[in-house]
Amino acid sequence: MRIRRAWAVVLLGPPIAFLVAFFIVPFFVLTITSFQVKDGSWTLLNYAKAVTDIYYWDTLILTFKLSLWVTLASLAIGYPLAYYMTYRLRSRFLRRFFYVVVVTPLFTSNIVRSFGWMVMLGRRGMVNEALLALGLVERPIAILYSEASIVIGLSYIMTPFMVLSVASVLQNIDRSLEEAARDLGAGRLVTFLKVTLPLSLPGVIAGSLIVFTLSVSAYVTPSILSGGKMIVMSILIFQQYMSVFDFYFGATLAVALLMTTIVLVIGYLLVVERGPRVAGAST
Amino acid sequence: MIARAPERISNLALSAFGWLALVFLGLPLAIIVGVSFTATSYLRFPPVGLTLKWYGQFLKDPSYLSAIWTSASLALAAAALALVLGVPAALVLSRASFPGRKALGALFLSPLILPAIVIGATILQYASLLGFARTYTAILVGHVVIVIPYIVRTTFASLVGFDESLEEAARDLGASGPGAFFRVTLPVIKPGIIAGALFAVIISWINVELSMFNTTANLMTIPVKLFNYIQYSVDPSIAAVSAATIYVAVLVVAALDLMVGIDKIAVSNR
Repeated sequence: MRIRRAWAVVLLGPPIAFLVAFFIVPFFVLTITSFQVKDGSWTLLNYAKAVTDIYYWDTLILTFKLSLWVTLASLAIGYPLAYYMTYRLRSRFLRRFFYVVVVTPLFTSNIVRSFGWMVMLGRRGMVNEALLALGLVERPIAILYSEASIVIGLSYIMTPFMVLSVASVLQNIDRSLEEAARDLGAGRLVTFLKVTLPLSLPGVIAGSLIVFTLSVSAYVTPSILSGGKMIVMSILIFQQYMSVFDFYFGATLAVALLMTTIVLVIGYLLVVERGPRVAGAST
Repeated sequence: MIARAPERISNLALSAFGWLALVFLGLPLAIIVGVSFTATSYLRFPPVGLTLKWYGQFLKDPSYLSAIWTSASLALAAAALALVLGVPAALVLSRASFPGRKALGALFLSPLILPAIVIGATILQYASLLGFARTYTAILVGHVVIVIPYIVRTTFASLVGFDESLEEAARDLGASGPGAFFRVTLPVIKPGIIAGALFAVIISWINVELSMFNTTANLMTIPVKLFNYIQYSVDPSIAAVSAATIYVAVLVVAALDLMVGIDKIAVSNR
C-alpha cells in the first residue's frame, strides 16, 4: 500500500532531522576543524604534518598490515566454518547451537573478548602451557603485548562477521548446480573449486571488506593487547583528543582514517555491483 | 552411495575443523567465566577452588553499580529513541518510491560502516561547540546514531516480506491508514522490530569507542570503566564483571533464538 506524500514527510522528517543534527553536521564540523588551527584561521598545515611526518605513515602502515593479517586469518577460520555449518550440519538443533556460539561473542564487548585473550596468551596462560605440553617450545614465549597478540585478538573478534557473511551467501546457492557438477563426474573438490567457491565469492568479498574496515578502526583490542607498546591509527586519534588536546590535528587524522574507509567502501560497492556477473560467468 | 576414502578423510577433516573453530570462538568467553569463580587472588584458569566473592565485591561497589545503571539506561533510551525514529523511516523506505530513496537508505545504514572512533570524535567536537560535551545527552545521541541502522535494517527486512493485501483488506473493511498499520501490519512485523531493538540494546550496552570520548569520572558506562581498569590492573573481580556481561549476551542471544531462530536472523542481518 502506497503511503501518501504528507504521511511520508511526517514519518521521515524526525529521523532525517535527527541524523542531520547529530551525524551529518558533526561530520562537517570535524572536517572544517581539520583545516583550522587554534586561532581559527584556515590552514593546510595539519594535513602537511600528517603527510610529511614518517611517524604517521608508520602508524598507518602498521594499522593496514595488522588489518590485512586479521582479514586473512578470519577468512581462513571463518570460511571453512561457514561451509561446515551450511553444508554439513543437517540437524537444525546443531546448526542453531553453532550459530549461538558464533553470535554470542558479537554481543559481548571487545574489552571482555580481548581480556579473554589476555588471560590465555600470558606467560603462564593456556596457550603457553599447551605449547610447552606439546613440546613445541622449551620456555614460555612472549606472545602477549606483541603484534601477534593484536592479530590473534582481532581475528577472534572479526571471525563471526566473516562466518555470517559467507554463510548468508552459501545458504542461497542453488544446490542443483552442485548436484549437476557431481552428476557430470566432478569430484567433491572439483565441484567445490569450480562451482561453490566462485558462487560464494560475493560473501567472501563482503566479509573481507567488513573485517578489514572494522580492523582498521579498531581501538579497544589494539590498546589492550599491545600493552601500550604499539600505536595504531585509532589510538593516535584518541590520544590527540584526550591527552594532547589537539582537536585540530585529531580531526585531521580522523578525516584521513575516514577517507581511507570511504575509498574501501566504494571499492566494496563496485565489487558488489559486479558480483552477479562474476557469479554468472562461472555457471 | 558409498563415499570414497579421500572424501571420507576430507569430511572428517572438515568436521574436526568446524568443531575446533567453534571451540576457538567459545573458549575465551568460557575462560573468563571460569576465572571469575577462582578462589585465588590472581587470574587463574582452570579456577582453583570455587567462590562467589568476586561477584559480591563488584555488587557492593557503588561505582560499578552506577556504571551498570548508566549503561543500562543508555541502552534502553537509545533503543527506544532509535525505534521511534527508525521504524517510521523503514516504513516509508519500503513503501514509497521517490527520487533519492536509495541514497536515504544508505544514509540510515552508513553509521554501520564508518569507523566508530571517528563518529565518537565528531560527537565530542560538535558537543563541545554547542556546550553539551561530556554529558549524558552527548553519549545518548551518539548511541542513537549507531543503533538506528540495526532497527531500520530488521524492520525493513520484515516489511519487504509482508503481504500488503492484508492491509488493503483492513482498509476495505473501514480501517484508517494508521489504524490498519497498528492493527494489522505492526503485529506481523513485530518479531523483526523486537530483534532490531535487541540488537540496538546490545550494541549500545557494549559500546566503548563512542562513549569514551564523553565519559567522566562521574559519568561512566560499564564497558568504559572495565576498559580503564583493565589497562592498569587485572584481577578476578574484573573477570566477574566481564562474566556478568557475558551472561547478558547469552540471555539476549537465547531470547533472539526463541523468538525468531538465531540461524535465520544471523544470516539475514549481515
